[in-house]
Amino acid sequence: MGEDPETFTQQDIDRSIAYLFPSGLFDKRARPLMKHPDEIFPKQQAVQWGADGRPFHFLFYTGKQSYYSLMHDTVAKVLAAEKQQVLLLSEGPVPQDTKPISLVGSRWLLKEELEELLVETISDHDYARFIQLMERLLSLPNCLSEKDFVQRYRKQLEIQSSKQQVAPLQYDENGVAYSTADGRRKTATCTVLLRDCGSGSISINGRDYLHYFPVLQDREQLMFPFHFLDMLGRFDGQCTVGGGGRSSQAGALRLAISRAMLSFLSEGQVESMRQAGLLTPDPRVKERKKPGQEGARRKFTWKKR
Amino acid sequence: MAAPITGLLKPWTPRLFLVRWSRYNPYYLEPEPRKELYNMPETELTTEQKEERELKAVRPIKATTNSTTSSVFNDPVLSKFVNMMMRDGEKILARGILTQTLESLKRKQVEKYHKAPQGKKAEIECNPYAIFHQALENCMPVIGLASIQKGGKFYQVPVPLTDNRRRFLAMKWMITECRDNKNRRTLMYEKLSQELLAAYSKEGNVIKRKHELHKMAESNRAYAHYRWW
Repeated sequence: MGEDPETFTQQDIDRSIAYLFPSGLFDKRARPLMKHPDEIFPKQQAVQWGADGRPFHFLFYTGKQSYYSLMHDTVAKVLAAEKQQVLLLSEGPVPQDTKPISLVGSRWLLKEELEELLVETISDHDYARFIQLMERLLSLPNCLSEKDFVQRYRKQLEIQSSKQQVAPLQYDENGVAYSTADGRRKTATCTVLLRDCGSGSISINGRDYLHYFPVLQDREQLMFPFHFLDMLGRFDGQCTVGGGGRSSQAGALRLAISRAMLSFLSEGQVESMRQAGLLTPDPRVKERKKPGQEGARRKFTWKKR
Repeated sequence: MAAPITGLLKPWTPRLFLVRWSRYNPYYLEPEPRKELYNMPETELTTEQKEERELKAVRPIKATTNSTTSSVFNDPVLSKFVNMMMRDGEKILARGILTQTLESLKRKQVEKYHKAPQGKKAEIECNPYAIFHQALENCMPVIGLASIQKGGKFYQVPVPLTDNRRRFLAMKWMITECRDNKNRRTLMYEKLSQELLAAYSKEGNVIKRKHELHKMAESNRAYAHYRWW
């Protein structure tokens, strides 16, 4: 078929199966697939007892042997850490303010993920007790030795700024760098073309921004990304905007300008823009009217009779 | 954080609708628009600020509101005051009134400055923003009253107030005072500047109202043990 067998990834397999065996079934789980059997068949526990009928694990008769053995191990570590702390205190008081293991940047495994790890079902109460015990372990000052153990049950959170898609910079025939971006807020949509000229003039729908936005607040919003990065007079902007009201058009333009500026910036500046709230599209829209009420929240006048 | 992480970054409606909810998932953090904080080098940060930075790196951030900018003239207290003065969504009018108020404050103070003898000139505050903030601080009550039901009757119990609540009460009293107790011919900005100047020198109706609240709280001191929080 012209494909390279050396670099055939799972995505290519899925694509080929969908092409070779077109399925008219609506349910995605009923369509043909070709994946590693580990991904298709759920993990099951192997047989827990030997030929003589005696179970291997000493906690088999609890019903949830992996969960209880995990709790057993964790409690042993907690007791060991407390014993060590008592020994250290008897030698001399050591004030400890800092937490040994850093919790920022990771989260506890969810109940579903823990069940997957242990290959057995646990209840919400069991999960809560497990988290409580781990927090207790982390509260002890000399738990640095158990760092690996704790990290096994924590999942790293991904750095948010890596999700930002930065388009590469484009150059027009005069060698001037430019970039385009879109923005949306409520029902206003806009496109912005930023040119690295050095003039600082912005035209919206063919008119100067001073004429288009007579209100100071809208012009402040327009200049916010430029002012934040100290690039006030550097760019030349050509914007087209439609829909919405004056405030939502200004918000849409702000988002589009911030997105267009990403291609001119370094990683640290992109992260500061994100933390300033310039790169998040505002999800607030007009709330729908509900039946039996006059508006979204306003109820009809209550009459006693 | 029960929901999977990829599902959090979309416009969200809660499973159970409480009275106050927002379109952001509670996982989102508040934005920080001031640009000086991002230029600080690593050495000047305390441990809490470093931890906060690490936390912000992994969490999504909400979008900044329409009225906030990174400009030096942007003041959260003033924005809150403008929003409270606004009626029927007319932000332009409310902001215009505030600008006129600050201008008239400046004019009055500069007039006083030029008329004052040489020795007294240093005491006259000409910065309208400083006057506004000081006046608001002078109007903020220290303790408030809460209506608590005990044995079938409602008692006014003295209760500590949070900073937000105190600021809100000060602003609310200022605005109601300027709306109600003014001559039909005086404009809002005129009356507001008069009240702000009076509050700055600890006189005027708003300060009187604050003192009355304090007196009520003092007189109801006996019921303080009815508070359970």
